Amino acid sequence: MKSKTENKSTTGPSNRVVWITLLIFLVIPHIISTPLATEIMIFGLFALGFNLLLGHTGILSFGHAAYFGLGCYSCGMAIRYFGASVWTALLASSAMGALLASIIGALAIKKRGVYFAMISMAVAQMFYFLALSPLKKWTGGEDGLKFIPKLSLKYPFYVDLQSPFPLYYFVYFIVGVSILLIWRILNSPFGRLLQAIRENEERTIASGYNVTMAKFVSLVFSGLFSALAGGLFCVYLGYGPLQTLFWLTSGTILLMTILGGMHTFIGPVVGVAVFLYLQNKFSWVMERWELVVGIMFVGLVLVFPAGIVGTIKSKYLGRQATAKQNAEADSAEEPV
Amino acid sequence: MELNFSLIMTQVLFGLALGAVYILMACGLTIIFGLLDVVNFAHGTFYMLGAFAAFVIISLFGNFWIGLVSAVFIVGLIGWATESFLIKPLYGKDPLYPLLLTFGFSVAVTDLMRGIFGTIGKIVELPKGFTGSLMMGGIFLPKYRVFIIFLTLAVLIFLWFFFKKTNLGMIIRAATRDSLMVRALGVNVSRIWTFGFALGVGLAGLAGAVNSTILPALPDMGVEMTIECFVVVVIGGLGSLGGAILGGLIIGQVISFVSLLASDYSNVAIFFTMLVILLVRTRGLFGEAGRL
Repeated sequence: MKSKTENKSTTGPSNRVVWITLLIFLVIPHIISTPLATEIMIFGLFALGFNLLLGHTGILSFGHAAYFGLGCYSCGMAIRYFGASVWTALLASSAMGALLASIIGALAIKKRGVYFAMISMAVAQMFYFLALSPLKKWTGGEDGLKFIPKLSLKYPFYVDLQSPFPLYYFVYFIVGVSILLIWRILNSPFGRLLQAIRENEERTIASGYNVTMAKFVSLVFSGLFSALAGGLFCVYLGYGPLQTLFWLTSGTILLMTILGGMHTFIGPVVGVAVFLYLQNKFSWVMERWELVVGIMFVGLVLVFPAGIVGTIKSKYLGRQATAKQNAEADSAEEPV
Repeated sequence: MELNFSLIMTQVLFGLALGAVYILMACGLTIIFGLLDVVNFAHGTFYMLGAFAAFVIISLFGNFWIGLVSAVFIVGLIGWATESFLIKPLYGKDPLYPLLLTFGFSVAVTDLMRGIFGTIGKIVELPKGFTGSLMMGGIFLPKYRVFIIFLTLAVLIFLWFFFKKTNLGMIIRAATRDSLMVRALGVNVSRIWTFGFALGVGLAGLAGAVNSTILPALPDMGVEMTIECFVVVVIGGLGSLGGAILGGLIIGQVISFVSLLASDYSNVAIFFTMLVILLVRTRGLFGEAGRL
């Protein structure tokens, strides 16, 4: 009988996927437009962070724009008001994201999924309104956070972040390291615990694990990476748009994650790539792009909930499993 | 600006009128959630549709009351169709899916309305006899706001009567508790669900129609209303009509007084309130015991 521990689906994502992805991103700015590629990486990181919570822990947050936007504004503010370097600013973004996630976690992580989704949405909306009006003096209100001084890296060597290629490879570096970190988180006993929580929370609790703490940590990581992505977005744009805090941002990252496949590791990045590519091609021509997005969403949920990578995986794995079964059947010994 | 009694009472009244709209919304959301276990992320969108339906009918027929009533039925009908074709296929699957679907639905419909009606708000004229205010004991009572309060009271009484005294109401209450059992007893639960959804969004449509004389109807107001609705329901506890009512009342007063005292924060106030209440009583004021 085949050893149970060889069952691939209970271990984490294979590192092949990670290296292939990193390789693809290494060369892609020479194939498609560099800004688009940069955006794909940034939102890809956002989606991976988001999916850490959704696809891997099974918790839906409808307000992840809060982390993204907070990260974006933190980075911009750190540079503009405190004269921080880009490295420090990104560190600040990540820290703020983790902090916000801790607060939200402390308040809401024990709640039923439904409540958590609503609370997260409400908190994000609160930040949006805060940035829009009462805190206008610091955030720039509707215009967003502007006038961020010339962006460049001083350490370890000088990099001009205003020109596309150096900017791209800087983002590549940060996102690449993050992807490896996220991969490592998922490919660990902790990652397996998250999977257990997603599959059957009650049983995991009954098995004696501190599920609340695990969910909390997952949320904190999720907030951290999403905020880091937000910080990168600010570096990429050179300013901090209010849109980053808007509910549509939360909805779009959700759509892209599901489009790619929320129960896979790299699915969200694929979803981001496909969506941003389509948006790049079509939103200029179509006035009713949001209508298309909404219909896409509805269609996905009804017809294709496993997403692109999810569907591919189940077809491919399905064929693999069948082939294995056939091979075993052929080589099995005759019963005595 | 001195805070005298008359000013405070006026604000309380405004708060009640505001709260009334939120109560209608929250009750609709609670009915849908209790019966179908679906969190209707498109609830505010139906509110928006109600406002537009009222605007269109009133523009066509000139009569406010026809507009109000038709709006409820139109939205109810749209809800009927939505549940039958979009939500029903998702039963039995991951409870995440109806959430996602209703969200996508709201994005799509909002943009569709933007395409049809543009982004300039449409406002409905106050019906004759409801313009102006009453003066009672030195307090200003705008007639229309009083109307809203009484209308909501009437609706609540109707709902109470419906759920407690009618057969269909009883079936719905039973289905909220245990759908499987109701089905085993021979009731077509699927149709009950559709009706429940239509009823829930009908309430939202009513709220939108009623508000159409006060706020201009804009496609984008749907999602904002949904989020505010969620705050009401988180405060009051999801699954309890009493909670929906209490939550609505609280939110109404909060918005009213914050608009008066610190108008810059009027948008944010309800979220602060939600956070404070969460800190103090983690499952909402009327939340179901043991089910956080």
